[in-house]
Order: sequence, then C-alpha cells, then structure tokens
Amino acid sequence: MDRYIRNIYKGVYTVLVGMRITIRQFFEPNVTHQYPYEHDFEKKRNVREIPKGYRGQLYNRIEDCIGCKKCELICPVDCITITGDKLPKGEQLWDSMNVIHLKDGREIIGLIEGEDKKLNLDEEMTVTNITSRQGPQEVVDRLEQSGDESRTQTISGSEVSRVVTRNPVVFYLDQFDIDMSLCMYCGLCTEVCPTECLTMIDTLEGIEYSKFDRTDLIFNFDKQEMYGKDEAETEEAAD
Amino acid sequence: MESTQQTESKIIELKPFTDEMVVNMGPQHPSTHGVLRLELRLDGEIVREAIPHIGYLHRCFEKHSENLSYPQIIPFTDRMDYVAAMNQNWGFCLAVEKLLEMDETKDFAVPERAEYLRVLICELNRIASHLLSFGTYGMDIGAFTPFLYAFRDRERLLLLFEKICGARLTYNYIRIGGVSEIIPMEPGSIDEQNYLDEIESFLDYFEPKIDEYNDLLTSNSIFSERTMGVAVMPAEMAISYGATGPNLRGSGVDWDLRRDEPYSIYDRFDFDVPVAKDIPELGAVLGDCWSRYKVRMDEMKESVKIVRQILAEGLPDGPVMADLKAVRPPKGEIYYRSEAPRGELGFYIVSDGTPKPVRVKGRSPCFSALSALQELSRGLMVADIIAIIGSIDIVMGEVDR
Ligand code: SF4
Ligand code: SF4
Repeated sequence: MDRYIRNIYKGVYTVLVGMRITIRQFFEPNVTHQYPYEHDFEKKRNVREIPKGYRGQLYNRIEDCIGCKKCELICPVDCITITGDKLPKGEQLWDSMNVIHLKDGREIIGLIEGEDKKLNLDEEMTVTNITSRQGPQEVVDRLEQSGDESRTQTISGSEVSRVVTRNPVVFYLDQFDIDMSLCMYCGLCTEVCPTECLTMIDTLEGIEYSKFDRTDLIFNFDKQEMYGKDEAETEEAAD
Repeated sequence: MESTQQTESKIIELKPFTDEMVVNMGPQHPSTHGVLRLELRLDGEIVREAIPHIGYLHRCFEKHSENLSYPQIIPFTDRMDYVAAMNQNWGFCLAVEKLLEMDETKDFAVPERAEYLRVLICELNRIASHLLSFGTYGMDIGAFTPFLYAFRDRERLLLLFEKICGARLTYNYIRIGGVSEIIPMEPGSIDEQNYLDEIESFLDYFEPKIDEYNDLLTSNSIFSERTMGVAVMPAEMAISYGATGPNLRGSGVDWDLRRDEPYSIYDRFDFDVPVAKDIPELGAVLGDCWSRYKVRMDEMKESVKIVRQILAEGLPDGPVMADLKAVRPPKGEIYYRSEAPRGELGFYIVSDGTPKPVRVKGRSPCFSALSALQELSRGLMVADIIAIIGSIDIVMGEVDR
C-alpha cells in the first residue's frame, strides 16, 4: 500500500516536472514556420539565411566551360553527360582570358598585361581587351558608350580576390546535360572544375526547383546557341 | 540466460502454450528507425522469438566502392549512417590515410588545423546524433514532446554544418588528407571568429538543455517504468555480440576508442567516458534499456566538454588539406576503426595500388547491436520490443549499407 501511494506520488511529481518545462515554451517565440508560405530565411523572427556556398542545383556558365570533362569523370553517380568534339586544328572559340574576381563580387574578364610574369596581387594590374560578354553591367555599359579605349582598365591588387585563367576554348560542346534527379549534391564536380564555371546555386532558386516531370530535371547546358551560324558551318565542314 | 532470469516475473503466462502467432512488425513502422522488418512469433503478448529481416535499405555500398576512386567513395559513406555522416566520412578517411601511410614522418600529413576541425565537427555531429536518438526514443515510448525539442536543437546544429560544408545531412566534408574547402574559412578571419562564436552560443544554450531533458524524460516515471530492468544485456553478452559504443558502455564495459586507442588528436583532450552503473534506488539495472539511453545523454555532455576545449584553444593556423596529388595507396590492406556515435565503425580496405580499391568492407556497429535483439527480446512483451529497438539506437542505413 505504501509502495502504491509512493508510485502515484512519483508518477505525478515527475510528470509535473516535465509539464513545467513544456509550459515555459508558451512564453518563448515559435521555432516553426509555415513552409512553403513563409521561409525561415525571410526577414522574420527566426532569421536565418541560406549560407553562402550551400550546395543546391548545379549551374554551368557554359561560356567558360572548356569541355575538359573533369566533372564528368569525378561524378560518382554519372549524372553529367558531355559530348563534344574538338574544333578543327587552329581554330578556337576565343583566346586565353583572365577572369578577375573582385572582392565586391564583380568579375572582370580580360587579359592581364604582363601575365606571363608571376602574378603579384600587391601591385596594380592593367587589364586589356576587356570583353563585354561577361563583364559586370557597368563595364558593359561603359564599353558601349566609349568605344575601344576603355577596354583597358587598371585595378589595384587589393581589390582582387582571385584570378582564374581561362584557356582557349577548342571544344565544341554538343551536349552538356546534368541530370539533377540523379545528383547527390556531393559537390565534387564543382571542386574539380578548372574554370570554376560549374557552380551550385546557393539561393532559394537552387533549392526549390521541384518539377512535375522527372525529365524536366535534366538540365541542358550547351554551346549550340552561342556559336551562331558560322560555327555550325565550320562544324559541318569539318565533318 | 541471465536475461531471462531477470525477467522471470514477467513470464508467468508462458506455461499454458497457445498457438503461436506470427506478426510482422515493419518494414514501414515509425519505431523501426528506417526500414526494418521484425518477424514476431508471439504467444499471446509474450514474444517467443523476434527475427529481424534486414536488407530493405541495401544500396550496395561495398560493391559500388570497388568501381569508384577513393575520393568518390566518401559521399557514399555519408549515406551509411546518415544521422552521423561526419563520423562516417572520418572513419573512411582515417582508414585510407592509414593505408597511404600519412603521418608526420612523411612529407604529407593531415594538417593540424584539419584535425581540430574534424574533432570539432564530429563531436557536434555526435551531439546531433544522440539528440535524434533521444528524441525518437521518447517518441517510440510515447512521449512526443522530447522529439520536438530534440529536433529544435538539432536544427541549430544542422545550420552550423550547413555553414561549414554547404549541406545539412550528407556532408562530404571530411576528405582524404584534410577537410573540404568548398566554403573557404581563412585562419584568423572574421568568418572563423563568427563561426566559433556561433558554436559557443549554441553550447551555452544547449548545456542547460541537457539537464532539462533529463528532467523531462530520463527521470519521468512512465519512461523509466518502461525502460528500467527491461532487456538486460550483461557485459559478456554485449561483448560476444560485438556491441560497441553506448550499447557496450551501457552494459558496464569501460571502453571507448577515443580514449583507449586514441586516433587523430583525441589524446589532447580531457573528457570522461560515461559508463552505466547499477542504480538500485532508481530501479535501473546495469545493461537495461535505460542504462544504454543514459549513457547517450551523458555522452552529449562530454562532447560539449571537448568542443569547449577546442574553442578555448582556438583553431590553429595553416592549411586544411594535406599536399596530396593523387590518392593512390600502395598495395596492401588495412582495417581501421574509429568511435562513431553508435559504436566502433571499422573499414577494411584492400588496395592493389590503383586509384580504386579492390574491396571495401564496412564494419557497422548497428549491425552488431541489432544481432543481439533476438536474444534480448526473448520472453518479453511486444511493447518492450519497441523499447529495445530504440535503446540500441540503430540506423538501418548503416545496418544494410
Ligand atoms: S554534385 Fe551531383 S553532378 Fe556533381 S559530382 Fe556530385 S553527384 Fe555528380
Ligand atoms: S569541369 Fe568545368 S570546364 Fe571542365 S567540362 Fe566540367 S564544367 Fe566544363
């Protein structure tokens, strides 16, 4: 009998201890949110952002891709398919270029003068032949206004975060497909890419891209439309 | 068996034999922690035999590995124990590094900074894993609140992992020869400081929470009635089944690879290894479900202790990746084990000197723990099966691989 009452007391007491903890929750802010109507990375109470470098959907900036197929080789699940041919000897889509990533996130594409010397980030560098294709919008605009002279720019080394050298493109990429339904988001392909053109989108668009049809998850990046007619003819001639 | 003696009071009804009834529990059952099917042979409500049928999550990890190069295998190890993927990465990398004979005497070694980052992140991952096990165990037994609390705190940890490696569950963070640089963190930079501060604030928040959870669940009398004295696994039985980690320490065996066979830099940290004891005044018997569970709760505190020591020391400078051109181990074979949250995780690798292994075998702690289930559950009630599965804390992804 004594034990019986003690058991009841113990049961009620320990439950009450637990209740005290749960009741405290009433006075604390919510930790849940109504996904997908609100995202917790919106500026709401439990603010958080998708961190930089989040591994989301793959995106290839195909202009920079040199068709080296390194990504295809490293992918553990073979979800990248690349087919392409070398251009006829002596032809190239464009020359070797430097992609200069600035610290504020912009990038400039051009040739660094005296680039064959060792690159010194402490000094100023002169960039010539800035192309409009990929440059930041203000550079593109200025180039269009002022003709050829402004295709040279001087940047101080302290602004630069890194420089990537883009080799001459001698590949014609017929097909560059990434099957995101196979991808396991390991990020290995983005690490090996020598031109850093293959990236993972670390914004909301790179995370919420569900589709109704599985075939829609195969993303095509290829160079076809960039070549224009001439290139296609060259290709035929080569055949 | 000793376990049947312990539970003799519960098997009064065993005498008048009725027809045996076979019930399938799972594969889709919320408390099977994955996809596990148990074939229960019941005599009324008494379990005569519980036969686990595994293989529903088999994804050919070992066969896959034979066709992949070493760095490519690491994302696959993520999918073994997906609750503690960092530790799985680490276990595999440790084995490959051993096979490559990476150490101070060679010109390439795992840099100091990488070692610190590895311990830091793996201990946090251990907390996350034990939190999940605590939450789901509560839910299996019938308490839903701890589950929500555990996930709330685990979420904060996942955000930390997300910041350092870009993924929430399958990290692929620890690489052969160091850690991933996918999100660069310069030594001494403001990023690093912010990150460490964030961990610090998490620890400050989390440490009192452990006591709160102990009040909430561990000492709850409904919970302890269901777990104390149930399914006692004596030390010899635990050893003979190869149970490791918290399951072994729950049986009173004082064995932790981090302390007894220190790998990486664990010998530099000061931590205790929680071992279960008989607590007669509470009713806990050494080796019962409650002891195994309690070891995990105590281990979280020790992990916090280790992380705090790293934060106090600060991360050393230097690179995070060894100067390794290609991963091409010499001919040979290796078995290396490390202490994952669920026990000893071993990898056996045979190399023939090519960039791809000839054979990879994972020694899964959960598989060994699950094999003890049949003996543990004999003569208990159906409801106790749930308590046992939760207490041995299996992840089916690792059992089946
Ligand atoms: S991230 Fe996807 S595409 Fe890239 S290597 Fe991994 S699985 Fe392949
Ligand atoms: S690794 Fe980069 S440059 Fe090479 S084929 Fe892939 S995307 Fe193109």
